[in-house]
Amino acid sequence: MRSRIVAILRKESREFVRDPVYLALAIVVPAVVMTLLGLGFVLDVTNLPVAFYDQDQSAISREYMYGFTNSEYFRLVRIARTTAELDELLQTGEVRAAIIVPSDFSRALRAGRTATIQVLVDGSFASRALIVTGYIAAADAQFNSTLTAQALARLGLPPAAPPISVDGRVWFNPTLETKNSIVPGLLVISLMFYPGLLAALVVVREKERGTIFNLYCAPISRWEIIVGKAAPYAAVAFVDYLLLFVMSVWMFGVRFVGDFFVLTTGAALYIVCCIGVGLLISVLCPTQVAAMLATFVGLMTPSIMFSGMMTPVASMEPSAQAISRLIPASYFMRMVRGVFLKRLGFDAYLPDFCRLALFGLVVYSIAIVAFRKKVA
Amino acid sequence: MSRRVLGLVRKEFAQIVRDGPLVFILLWTFTVAIYTAGNSRAADVDRIPTAIFDLSQSAASRDFLSHLRPPYFKIVGYLVTEDDVGRWLDEGRASIVVLVPPDFQRRIAAGDTAHVQVLTDGALATSATVAIAYIAGISGQYSASLVARRSGAATARLPAIDERLRVRFNPNMLSTWFGSLLELMTMFAMVSLLLTAANMVREKEHGTLEQLLVSPARPVEIFVAKIVPTLIIVLLLSGLSFLLVLRPLFHVPIRGSLPLFYAGAALFVFAMTSLGMAIAVVATTLAQAMMIMILILQPMIFLSGAWNPPEAMIPWLRAVGMLSPLRYFIDFGYSVILKGSSAAVVAPDLAAIAILGTAMFAFSIGWFRRSLR
Repeated sequence: MRSRIVAILRKESREFVRDPVYLALAIVVPAVVMTLLGLGFVLDVTNLPVAFYDQDQSAISREYMYGFTNSEYFRLVRIARTTAELDELLQTGEVRAAIIVPSDFSRALRAGRTATIQVLVDGSFASRALIVTGYIAAADAQFNSTLTAQALARLGLPPAAPPISVDGRVWFNPTLETKNSIVPGLLVISLMFYPGLLAALVVVREKERGTIFNLYCAPISRWEIIVGKAAPYAAVAFVDYLLLFVMSVWMFGVRFVGDFFVLTTGAALYIVCCIGVGLLISVLCPTQVAAMLATFVGLMTPSIMFSGMMTPVASMEPSAQAISRLIPASYFMRMVRGVFLKRLGFDAYLPDFCRLALFGLVVYSIAIVAFRKKVA
Repeated sequence: MSRRVLGLVRKEFAQIVRDGPLVFILLWTFTVAIYTAGNSRAADVDRIPTAIFDLSQSAASRDFLSHLRPPYFKIVGYLVTEDDVGRWLDEGRASIVVLVPPDFQRRIAAGDTAHVQVLTDGALATSATVAIAYIAGISGQYSASLVARRSGAATARLPAIDERLRVRFNPNMLSTWFGSLLELMTMFAMVSLLLTAANMVREKEHGTLEQLLVSPARPVEIFVAKIVPTLIIVLLLSGLSFLLVLRPLFHVPIRGSLPLFYAGAALFVFAMTSLGMAIAVVATTLAQAMMIMILILQPMIFLSGAWNPPEAMIPWLRAVGMLSPLRYFIDFGYSVILKGSSAAVVAPDLAAIAILGTAMFAFSIGWFRRSLR
């Protein structure tokens, strides 16, 4: 038995090595994509393009506008002269928000009344619209507290201590650099995606070529075939992991406070799982096209959407949380975030290790059983 | 010529339609995958999972905390012990913990300042930044109302601004509209690239490309025959997405003209299939083609400006992004569907897609001809 699995291993590795272009691509592509996304996937909302329509044209309305233009969050694109102009700026996407300062702005404020400004926000990018409204509300609150202080001073009243002050403290990533959340996330996504893709063509390729019958009639058991086929790809994926890890820590300078050994054990387990998913797809699909499409659709977007890379799983709908619990990416995401940023004890990762192991067991079992069906 | 092309088109169609699992995956892609993506709220920063540790347990603290509400915050739990704070943040069960001090009510009543602590999990930097901004806004507003109440009569004359918010194009800021449309446009890109490249490389792998070449069909005809079936299939399937998912389940409004959207979509699919042909001409095996496709697709999808605001990107990368037809298509799609933009407004996007598509088509066919010699 030992020699049979070695034979399969040797055959698969040779096939891999004989296509040096593919081998090179399998190692270079993840690194290049990681570089591009690591540099480009900036989610910081800064420089939000805004436009103003100042109907008041007073000193105080200008002061209000400065509050926006002086902050790093907003970038003044244009001071419009008509509402139609604002509409057009929103329509073409040149600005994400437009603010109309009414003509009675300074009069109302001087009289100690409330002035109502109008805020128009482009809602087509829903999450960005929420961020914009939040920032504008914060800027307005700031302006209001200045107004109150000034008014109290004018009335000769003592400046009121703010009744509530908020002290924010950020754990795990005190400087709130997005790279510390994005790059480890990309590591998880890449290690789901590439091993899955590498493995997705392995069995189905032989089906298309007809060489699968050699395997069917060879005196090898199903699990030997599956394991023998998985191993070389797992090895390549592991090289990918090491490369991506080194890039995250050295090239991107991501904070890394945890235990490399824990991370690597988790990564190995995770890679084996993802290879298993690819193999399963490969066993089930009759053509390479179908297998490839299934892997792209089945792995690329869901692993980003449901793994908690950008939205905390806790804030998802129950149905989305259910999907999230089904995919190994969310287990590994927790592990990676923990090791990179949080420095938790080993027991904190134990449940996720077990879940990964269970997932792997199930996937490989299904793959082996499904492979048998084809023989019959 | 047209009969030759027609024959080839029929052959390509047959090849796709006969592949049962492929048809199933295509149907899945344009219905179920779009539905789940619309529901995933993947890019959302609202409903931040918030845990509350209220040591004051007073009327004042409850009043203050009642302002932390959806859509900005999702209260996931009330903590009892101090250990909970660390545990919940460690395990990711909450992204922020709001800690109200025991003397909250007393200090406010005495005219002092009460210090509320907000602990944030920085592992998700964007959510954390946004959460802090929201809380600052809320407590600022709340403080102002307290000051007003406290200083009694004089306050009737305190000036203030008040905002009237109007969200255009998507008034309830529904991420289902955003997410499902994004997934649809992403699938346009993915499926048209994959199908075409795979079908072309398969001819190479099976050695049937030579048969095509010795047939009277010219290279352009072979190319057109590879592109047309993908075009038809992708456009038909996207119709399914509108009919089965976007309209009935998510109530995505179609504010612009649907023919305009489909014209743009056809142009975009043409650009992506041409790109697929270019990849197929370069690659010798499907495995190679696949890796090249990811190399292009992944950055294309995630740097298209839908996931990340383009204004925050570094300039050279933004410039590279200008070469991606998907970038223009996403801009075009949201404009026509959600904003109801006219052809004149989206003309620059359409022109960019057309230019990139034609360039790709010319490149792939030129390269193909050269490889034949």
